[in-house]
Amino acid sequence: MIDPDTDLVARAGRGDRAAAQALMARHLPKMMTLARRMLGSQAEAEDAVQEAFLKLWTHAARWQPGKAKFETWLYRVTMNKCYDRLRRRPAAPLDEAAEVVDPAPPADSVLENSALAGEIEAALAALPERQRAAILLCHHQERGNIEAAEILGISVEALESLLARGRRALRARLGHLRE
Amino acid sequence: MWADALLKELPSVPVPAGLEARILADFDRQAMRPRWADRLREALWPGAPLWRPAGAVALALAVGVLVGSYVPLEDEQPAQTIALDEAPSFDLGESS
Repeated sequence: MIDPDTDLVARAGRGDRAAAQALMARHLPKMMTLARRMLGSQAEAEDAVQEAFLKLWTHAARWQPGKAKFETWLYRVTMNKCYDRLRRRPAAPLDEAAEVVDPAPPADSVLENSALAGEIEAALAALPERQRAAILLCHHQERGNIEAAEILGISVEALESLLARGRRALRARLGHLRE
Repeated sequence: MWADALLKELPSVPVPAGLEARILADFDRQAMRPRWADRLREALWPGAPLWRPAGAVALALAVGVLVGSYVPLEDEQPAQTIALDEAPSFDLGESS
């Protein structure tokens, strides 16, 4: 399979600014969305994505096509930058609260789109970080299980387990939205 | 699937123009770096980040300094004394 980014990465490694801009245009929006949903903070997401691109610029000249799909590598770097930032935060009780079922909010509060989005974001934020990453990659970024498992550096079976637990936790918190 | 439909409700995250500019500035700085250092690093330790060859050199230096400072030299023995009251004998090959 031909990696569509290979040529752009090689050119960026030789200092081609247009290639760097093309790589950014292809990947920046999705990376930004992923980091923002992982970290829950716009400023931290911007820093994580910038660090991921910096790593790309320093490695572009040495990129060896065929070893791994470039996009998978780039998303793995982004995810690791997010994990680094999450671990630097003081311990929060969010992970312990992930499985706790909240009482359903009043029906009129879910009519507003922004309120609905806020509720979904809160439910995502309450997931443990690995479950959140798995859910975002497979259900929001629409990646296949094999690719998502490669990005997270885990087996497909482990990914499926994370997905199952993540979906269960989301259903427990947001099940009232199904009607 | 329910989870897919649910997450589609989330609004897209905008990419601020300032972020693009910062990332491109990083690219420009990286492109202007001297390439000889990268080539040397690649020759010494292919594919490794800079800290690895730098760490190896620093470790070798530290070990060298420690060994040089604390291990006594083998020829650091008491100098041989020469008895001055004995005439030194030399064989100048007079027999030949």
